[in-house]
Amino acid sequence: MASTSSSTPAAEVEVEERCRKRKRAARAAEPAAPAQPSKWRTRREHEIYSSKLLEAIRVVRAGPSAAAGAAAPAPPRGRAVGEAADRELAVAARGRTHWSRAILASRRRRLQAAHRARLRAPASPPSRHDAAAASASAASASAAAAKGTATPPLARKAKVLGRLVPGCRKLSFPTLLAETTDYIAALQMQVRAMTALAEALSAVSATSSPGAGSSSSSSPL
Amino acid sequence: MSSGRSSSRGNISEDEINELISKLQALLPSSRRRGSGQASTTKLLKETCSYIKSLHREVDDLSDRLSDLMSTMDHNSPGAEIIRSILRS
Repeated sequence: MASTSSSTPAAEVEVEERCRKRKRAARAAEPAAPAQPSKWRTRREHEIYSSKLLEAIRVVRAGPSAAAGAAAPAPPRGRAVGEAADRELAVAARGRTHWSRAILASRRRRLQAAHRARLRAPASPPSRHDAAAASASAASASAAAAKGTATPPLARKAKVLGRLVPGCRKLSFPTLLAETTDYIAALQMQVRAMTALAEALSAVSATSSPGAGSSSSSSPL
Repeated sequence: MSSGRSSSRGNISEDEINELISKLQALLPSSRRRGSGQASTTKLLKETCSYIKSLHREVDDLSDRLSDLMSTMDHNSPGAEIIRSILRS
């Protein structure tokens, strides 16, 4: 093969190795302490998340047309952006919290289910329902056990809370509280970043739509 | 550090729970108004639930808005560069 094609996979492997080393170094540098909610307030996290979100949104925009035609139950575009945002948020948590792992896991499950449905035949019951049913029955069994740490009216509220925070239905009360704290801080950062992105986008489109196009290919009207 | 005693046994002290609760309370928007004393845990949890729901709604609204904006950006590839520089500054 040509030298260029053989160098590209090698370059990719190098990039992957570098990423892995960086991740390993990062994980070694920060000991296994639970994610501090204050980290969601740092400017650095905000910037990282914003740029990742931008990339993810662009992929989403190109996605439905690039993917295999009218793919399976594709969520409406608004929801797709929201899901991309949630996924980036979960990635930013670096897998140290229950809710982030649950978001990533459920997304993978849904993708696999859609993939399988596409392979077999359309209109097969999504495995999401089975997974939800299984976790619901498990949750009811362990909710009775979790009540030991909280009085009954509190347990009810805790259950509602556990349903709101992804992947936290089976957790003990203190863990649930910690997860909730981190989740709220992360959501706050998500809202801040998306608001900033929306403001920036509307500013850009406002200034560039009246045909002041210096872009290479402007659409002929 | 809140994780002084590891909670593997399930025997959490009341103090640890209270500490977690106060940390949670610090995040809620209402805590700034009330100059929070000791709100009851039940009310706090209820408030947390509604706050999370409103955050979810806000994220949904924003994502709808973003997807609309992104569709209008189709013709404008330099726009993405501008966005990135705006976000970084």
